[in-house]
Amino acid sequence: MKLNVNGADHEVDVDPNMPLLWVLRDELGITGPKYGCGIAQCGACTVHIDGQAVRSCQVAIGDLQGDVTTIEGLGTPDALHAVQAAWVEHQVAQCGYCQSGQIMQAAAMLELNPEPTDADIDAVMSGNLCRCGTYPRIRAAVKTAAANLKGA
Amino acid sequence: MSRVGKIARRTFLVGSAAIAGGVAFGYYMYKRPAKNPLLDDLAAGEAALTPYVMINAEGITLITPRADSGQGVYSVQAAMIAEELDVDLDQVKVDPGPPSPAYYNTALAEEAAPFRPTNEGFTAESARGMMDVLMKFLGMQVTGGSTTVPDGYEKLRIAGAVARETLKAAAAAETGVPVSQLKTERGAVILPDGTARNYVDLAAKAAEIDPVEKVVLRDPSEWRLMGKPMMRHDILAKSTGTLTYGIDAKIDGMVHAAIKLNPRQGGAMISYDDSAALALPGVQKVIPIKGGVGVIASNTWYAIQGAEAVACDWGPAPFPPEQAQHWEALASSFTAEAQDSQQRNDGDVEAALEGAQVIEAEYRAPYLAHAPLEPISAIVQVTDERVDIWTGTQIPRFVQSNVAKMTGLDADNVHVHVMMMGGSFGHRLEDEVVKQATELAIAMKGTPVKLTYSREEDMIHDFARQIAMGRGRGAVKDGKVHAFDLGIAMPSVVVSQLGRQGLNMPGPDTQIVAGAWEQPFAIPNYRVTGYRAPQLAPISSWRSVGASSNGFLHDGFLDELIHAAGADPMVERIRLCWHEPSRKVLQAVKEMSGWDGFEMGENRGRGVAFTLSFGVPVAEVVEVTNTDRGIKIDKVYVAADVGKIVDPINFDNLVKGGVIWGLGHAINCEITYTDGIVDQTNFHVYEGLRMYQSPQIEVQGLENASKIRGIGEPPVPPAAPALANAIFAATGQRLREMPFNKFIDFV
Amino acid sequence: MRIMHLGVIAALLSTPIWAADTEIEITPLPEGSVNSEDGLAAWDRIYQVTSHPRCSNCHVGASNVPMWSGPSYGGKPRPHGMNVNAGESRIGAEYVLCSTCHAYREVTGTRLPHAAPQVAADWRLAPVEAEWFGKSSDYICAQLRDPARNGDRSYLDVAAHLEHDVILHWAWDPGAKREPAPFSLQEHVNDILAWGAAGMPCATD
Repeated sequence: MKLNVNGADHEVDVDPNMPLLWVLRDELGITGPKYGCGIAQCGACTVHIDGQAVRSCQVAIGDLQGDVTTIEGLGTPDALHAVQAAWVEHQVAQCGYCQSGQIMQAAAMLELNPEPTDADIDAVMSGNLCRCGTYPRIRAAVKTAAANLKGA
Repeated sequence: MSRVGKIARRTFLVGSAAIAGGVAFGYYMYKRPAKNPLLDDLAAGEAALTPYVMINAEGITLITPRADSGQGVYSVQAAMIAEELDVDLDQVKVDPGPPSPAYYNTALAEEAAPFRPTNEGFTAESARGMMDVLMKFLGMQVTGGSTTVPDGYEKLRIAGAVARETLKAAAAAETGVPVSQLKTERGAVILPDGTARNYVDLAAKAAEIDPVEKVVLRDPSEWRLMGKPMMRHDILAKSTGTLTYGIDAKIDGMVHAAIKLNPRQGGAMISYDDSAALALPGVQKVIPIKGGVGVIASNTWYAIQGAEAVACDWGPAPFPPEQAQHWEALASSFTAEAQDSQQRNDGDVEAALEGAQVIEAEYRAPYLAHAPLEPISAIVQVTDERVDIWTGTQIPRFVQSNVAKMTGLDADNVHVHVMMMGGSFGHRLEDEVVKQATELAIAMKGTPVKLTYSREEDMIHDFARQIAMGRGRGAVKDGKVHAFDLGIAMPSVVVSQLGRQGLNMPGPDTQIVAGAWEQPFAIPNYRVTGYRAPQLAPISSWRSVGASSNGFLHDGFLDELIHAAGADPMVERIRLCWHEPSRKVLQAVKEMSGWDGFEMGENRGRGVAFTLSFGVPVAEVVEVTNTDRGIKIDKVYVAADVGKIVDPINFDNLVKGGVIWGLGHAINCEITYTDGIVDQTNFHVYEGLRMYQSPQIEVQGLENASKIRGIGEPPVPPAAPALANAIFAATGQRLREMPFNKFIDFV
Repeated sequence: MRIMHLGVIAALLSTPIWAADTEIEITPLPEGSVNSEDGLAAWDRIYQVTSHPRCSNCHVGASNVPMWSGPSYGGKPRPHGMNVNAGESRIGAEYVLCSTCHAYREVTGTRLPHAAPQVAADWRLAPVEAEWFGKSSDYICAQLRDPARNGDRSYLDVAAHLEHDVILHWAWDPGAKREPAPFSLQEHVNDILAWGAAGMPCATD
């Protein structure tokens, strides 16, 4: 099976039922997307497929259609995406394990809704669980990212 | 400065020794066999080294032995060293270091001493000193009990100062300039002419000379880093998906593994059939281990699929199989025989209740899972000569000795590489996953085996937070709380947890009454009694341990009495509180919230709660609205006093996180048993708070307390009672059992 | 960039959500061959289906909030967790697309307990005018025979719709120990045909 991740083509020989998450993590060594629940309850595995936020634990590799972007492809420590820059500025992370998914979900939201209200943020981001409780900082960082993207 | 003498008496001296290409301050202690630390302690001026600074050609590394499970303690520990060493955090690497008795945790033992944290009298301090000795014996390099900051506050700054002064001495020896004319700045010794000699270049010289042992710690007013907002060293990596957690680690040649354990935790496996599993793609091997099987595969998902496909015949649960039996066991434990402690017995409770209108209530707190978002994992490689372990753990020394026993190798040959953790909340104070990975690695000798728990295995085999039951009796008089009598029954967390490490804990378990018996209220007739229920399901420390349940039992019942007295919940708590720093946190939330009574108009209300835990007084006010769809938490105000705040940003984040943790579990989380098996298998029935339910939280940190304390746990205990008290204010419904969503809806 | 993503959504909205994976026989009965009593009995069975949580959880009204109710959830009905709102688009385009979790799935695999259900279609709510959740038998009966509210369908079109829509097929084969919709898909289609042949009677007639 072929797939394109962060602009690079890959070919893997696995069970077509294998979730994209485990192809990324164990076959391709791309570990930004995290395993948290395996059943779309936590959002830690969120990636983009053709720009749409998707829980990679729910996409069988045999059903994958479209290019995959993971947190590593969104921005890098040397060239941060606006959402990542806002996450750094607000020091959102505690353990940080959910944050790849939070950032990918937030980035997808801002593509579609550049000026989210508090209610929009709560509606979009509530599928991403944070056990450390960084929600107040996530809210603030989303707003900063929105403002910076608007100014860009 | 008076500190010098104190330091000398407490024998915080640092040695140094050359290691390959550089100098490690105190590092040579690793190489020495563990001596009797008690003798070290008795011989004033010797031993108990603080090996926290290493300098070599690659640069400066600060050793931060307390594990970082997300609470930011690598940065906080580094800041405490860097403050005195005169380096900036962007100049240094941070490394958790190897397991070593030198990294014992003094503050954790202090917390176990049966003295109120508000008691700083001679006997209490002496007992805490004895606990220090005990810890040295145990050599427990444990992260827990919100102790990282109090444990490191002096040790780490002294380590930084000793290293700095030794480097200055090295510069003086090289240049002939007297030490008194040297300054230090950003990782360099500055000569009078402004020339900078980098620490890295001075390392070789510093290795040759005796370390400077007498140092003077700077006054907080001179601090450059501590007390000011800091940028955590891991934020960039955590914002870019580039941080390697334990579950992300990869070792060349490793195989992946999953397990299937008896779902009745601790029960035996009678037989198994692996034929279906072995037929699955990617599955290489099925290996029986204690209580279940491990499946070796080429990919974690294959391994998990394989584990699910193994058919097993399980033995019974080694504890009562039904949840109701657990509650019955607690209910039957309020007896003289089961009494564990009664360290609070002021006035004459029985006389005060005699003839009074007695208010009675029973409170319950359920079992809970830790459920950090990163499931537990470990990579273990066993060869004839050595073992390597890569895992996120709070107990590296136990891991080392347990694996040494399992493999028959000396502990020196067991190398524990502590990995970053995606949360813990106490989960990683257990090391079952390492033992299981070691069993598999022994069977796969030479091959690194990475064992990853599925979320379901993690939830079912999480060592739960204790269940607790509180029975309160009380009376009011003249509009005041007159008598307060609380009995608390729970199994002993300490016995369960240390028992798995082969250790006994003699005497009463202070956790049974933690967060209750030591509350600083001058109620004239005031009694708190701990009852030790039989050991039931295996339990473990959960963020704030005993206080996580007892804060709710104690403050919830206190609120009932205050309302019965017709007093104002805030005013009466402040009136009753005799401990100055505690009273000030109450006064702070009173002002922050504009408290003018518990009523806030129709369908609205506010509640206040207070818990002193881990020496930290925390007061919280919760405001709620009773909407047509259920309770909405509008706003939370928190004030906490840790003596000194090392990093205000991290403090703010941890307080908010602690409140959200406390509220979320109080609203919708419990672990229950049916047929000996945990009913809750994943986050669909164990959510905690999500963003839409997360209130605005306003935080104030106070610095009136005399000792520095940690903030990881103390914000948790008052959150649940503050919410219950607010719901009572808004609805008149008194919630006495968690989770609250069994009794009332939440928006 | 933004335009491209709006394009994605437009594409999702226009994706046909049917694919034939289950063999259903549609054998129309002669008009009038079913008497009104048998027609009403057929309707009662149809209502058992439309009011079953497996179906009604996604046939919600203008709140656009799917429900979590029924034996798989226990307790009392509650809104879909995670503060989900499918928006007026009914596919979540305004907030989180349903397909973020209810991913497109053609490859047959183990359907995980408690995971987001998946089919070979983009997951979505039924149209708002097809509101069933909490509605009475009479209300839904009148709705289902009203072209303005049933997608301008004859009863034969309704039967054909049942044949095509794989989300509906999932309701009878939800897997992972979920309780399926009552009867079988074929029996339900037969009831629609009988109800239609009887002249789509409702108890209020």
